[in-house]
Amino acid sequence: MDISQLLSDLFFDYTLRTVALGALILGMVSGMLGAFAVLRKQSLLGDAISHAALPGIVLAFLLTRQREPVVLILGALIAGWLATLFMIAVTRTTRIKNDTALGLVLSVFFGMGLMLLTFAQRLPDATQAGLDKFLFGQAATLLQSDVITMGIIGALALGLLVVFWKEFKLITFDPEFAASLGFPVRGLDVLLTTLLVIAIVIGLQTVGVVLMSAMIVAPAAAARQWTDRLSLMILLGGLFGAVAGVSGTLISSTAERLPTGPVIVLCISVIVLFSMLFATNRGLVWNWLRSKQNRRKLRARAVLADLNTLAMQHPHEAHGHSVAVLRTMSANPDGVSYALKQLRERGHAYEVSTDVWALTDEGLAQASRNQKEETE
Amino acid sequence: MTEKAIEVTDLTIAYKDKPVLWDVDMSVPVGTLMAIVGPNGAGKTTLIKSILGLIKPAAGQVLVLGKPYTQQRHLVGYVPQRGSVDWDFPTSVLDVVMMGRYGALGWLKRPGGAERAAALDALDKVGIRHLADRQISQLSGGQQQRVFLARALVQGAQLYFMDEPFQGVDATTERAIVTLLQELRSAGKTVVVVHHDLQTVPEYFDWVTMLNVRRIASGPVNEVFTEENLRQTYGGKVAFLSAAGNGKNGKQ
Amino acid sequence: MKKLMLAVLLITVLLSACAAEANSDQAGKLNVVTTTGMIADIAKNVGGEHVQVTGLMGPGIDPHLYKASENDVQLLQEANVVFYNGLHLEAQMGEVLERMNDFGIKTVAVTDKIDRSVLQSPPEFAGNYDPHVWFDVTLWMQAVEQIRDTLVEVDPDNASVYQANAEAYLTELEGLHHYVLDQADTIPAEQRILITAHDAFNYFGRAYGFEVRGLQGISTEAQAGTADVRALADFIVERQIPAVFVESSVPQRNVEAVQAAVQAQGFEVEIGGSLFSDAMGTDGTPEGTYIGMVRHNIDTIVAALSGE
Repeated sequence: MDISQLLSDLFFDYTLRTVALGALILGMVSGMLGAFAVLRKQSLLGDAISHAALPGIVLAFLLTRQREPVVLILGALIAGWLATLFMIAVTRTTRIKNDTALGLVLSVFFGMGLMLLTFAQRLPDATQAGLDKFLFGQAATLLQSDVITMGIIGALALGLLVVFWKEFKLITFDPEFAASLGFPVRGLDVLLTTLLVIAIVIGLQTVGVVLMSAMIVAPAAAARQWTDRLSLMILLGGLFGAVAGVSGTLISSTAERLPTGPVIVLCISVIVLFSMLFATNRGLVWNWLRSKQNRRKLRARAVLADLNTLAMQHPHEAHGHSVAVLRTMSANPDGVSYALKQLRERGHAYEVSTDVWALTDEGLAQASRNQKEETE
Repeated sequence: MTEKAIEVTDLTIAYKDKPVLWDVDMSVPVGTLMAIVGPNGAGKTTLIKSILGLIKPAAGQVLVLGKPYTQQRHLVGYVPQRGSVDWDFPTSVLDVVMMGRYGALGWLKRPGGAERAAALDALDKVGIRHLADRQISQLSGGQQQRVFLARALVQGAQLYFMDEPFQGVDATTERAIVTLLQELRSAGKTVVVVHHDLQTVPEYFDWVTMLNVRRIASGPVNEVFTEENLRQTYGGKVAFLSAAGNGKNGKQ
Repeated sequence: MKKLMLAVLLITVLLSACAAEANSDQAGKLNVVTTTGMIADIAKNVGGEHVQVTGLMGPGIDPHLYKASENDVQLLQEANVVFYNGLHLEAQMGEVLERMNDFGIKTVAVTDKIDRSVLQSPPEFAGNYDPHVWFDVTLWMQAVEQIRDTLVEVDPDNASVYQANAEAYLTELEGLHHYVLDQADTIPAEQRILITAHDAFNYFGRAYGFEVRGLQGISTEAQAGTADVRALADFIVERQIPAVFVESSVPQRNVEAVQAAVQAQGFEVEIGGSLFSDAMGTDGTPEGTYIGMVRHNIDTIVAALSGE
């Protein structure tokens, strides 16, 4: 696998270019709109909507007998919207809570979809519509016309996002305050949810119903690790989504029969994992390193205090004390050697003879400073 | 006759057949610093929210400076409870304060230099200008409260509603807030505060409304903040039923 | 809100009711249930008026993906004999067919008689055989014999009828085989390259002298990746192939994607026509029979590949 060949293919090979472009649009749009879903605690809603799209797709085919993707996508859109309405209605009129309602809608709609799919397969033109390809997507057979459709709809959705940026920010952060200012919070809510449904529906052909929710949630989750600014988070979400889309396409193109959709999802998962571990400030690895550093600092301080105590109790201040004694005094005996090394580096202690340590003058001075600090 | 800052008549709000506010009358003159007190579930927050048009009443009417609230939005500032938002939201202090100007900006327009200046000014007034670029997740309780206050200040209102602004803040912040409120009152504004600490009512406020689903009493603190009224307001959950049995509540 | 839920429930129930078909067991006739239409065709020809044949998979149905519904299971359970292709063609029905055996219903794979040594086993399908045997008419004639023998076994009273019918049908198939050979010969050897949606035509290629390539593999379960589309497009351009073929039971857009890739390289390739691969045509039309379908295929192929 020659990387430079791969990259040149990306620009010059029709199939690779088309599929990669489609994946890029998908990643960008779902990454950006998904960020809002995540901030509004609607991550699971994305999952419910994508699963609910299945019966919409099958019914659209059954009712119109058209296999044009546009028709099926429309069915997905309507079904996704119905699922959201259903969810809202259920939480509002019954005692069922949000997460239960989501799980309910997700499984009921998806189950209905599978049932309809089995029913549809008996019809002669059903396979031509490629209905079950919507389960996991079939990115490799994206046509230019598909990508153009995705592009136009995606641009529309992002355009609306820009226009209503401050309103969306406001209703996500403080909907009550927004209402008191006179903004139609319900209407804006509906609009934002519609944009989410659109983002999901665009991606169904590429990654499919089952995996689409990953493309909504994962880029945003990764982006949150890197920044505390909303605008940057949205942009990063779009970037991560796009990168996952393109790299997923590239990677799956190197082997035969490797499905593009799942590989894209794997790529975004890698990005999320990396972000969780290594993101500046919030990354787990940095947190772990920082707490290790802090622990070492505290331990050095404790050993310094212990040495000081021993020095005070001994007739000769400069008398050395064995490491074994220090170990028994310490709450963490294993860290004593390292702490002693640190103290030596700072000039606070020195090794009198093997495994016997004493404080330097500087060390004694520091110890008494520490003591004063603690008693204040 | 000078118009009242707030005129509430026969306000009734029910939630699934349970009364939350019942037949509440309230008349608040301009330039007052008023506390709303009552036990939990008395409807204090509901009262404020219904005045602000956030909750639809089952019956009754609310007038703000003589007109319905929808026509007076630009004259009203709102400080919601601190716990009503997720402070982990990725935004800065300055950004939140500028949100107070969104109402005046309307659709499409973005906050610009003027809004930024107003926001910094307000942050100055509440004493946290140095935190303008800080992430709101890194704020203490008292600082969060000040941010909300600053946001209400940039609304440039005549009438302010605040929901438990002293809840969970340190003593320094509390003193600072009270000073600010009293300044507002001196400047002729009306400030209505849902308050939880009965001890400080006489010290901070000049008017008080005592609420327990029904309006128990409303008026100047020295007239109305009596032991009898307190007992009626806080005398257990049966306050509503016993009041209904007694007929009229203590009025005036 | 409750009204909406009720409406949805009603729609669901109505749809499942529509799917249920009444199955009448006509007196005296053997109840034969088959999976693919091609097998049903044999059964009808060999069994004649002594059998009532029901095919589960109609025109345009993909047998690799077909899942048996509750109704199908009912039909199977009421059958006297069940014929299926075997060799994992009906990939999603394996368990169901096994269960029928356990119920004591005579369940026979029509490919059982065929000597494994003549079957192909392509590398990606390791350990298994290519199940698309019906495209080599001579192999399919063995399936006819299998069905004949089973019917004779199950219904010995009508054995002579079955023998006679089978004899007649086999003669027709013999004629068909030669027809295909002759037609294939009209295409010059270097132009005999058959590109289809999935690898269903290996036996056809071997029997009648075609080089075959499909976009998807032996089974349509596996998705095609971008590498596959590109590889096929490159192949088409390299060998200057004038036409490719879509299949009735596989989404057309897969081949369209290949076509677009080829066009992007500056070469024009046409869609030569639609072939019947894993399913036959509509009932009542000539392509709704095995013989009709094979003829349609070879005629379409010849028309597309020899013209240019």
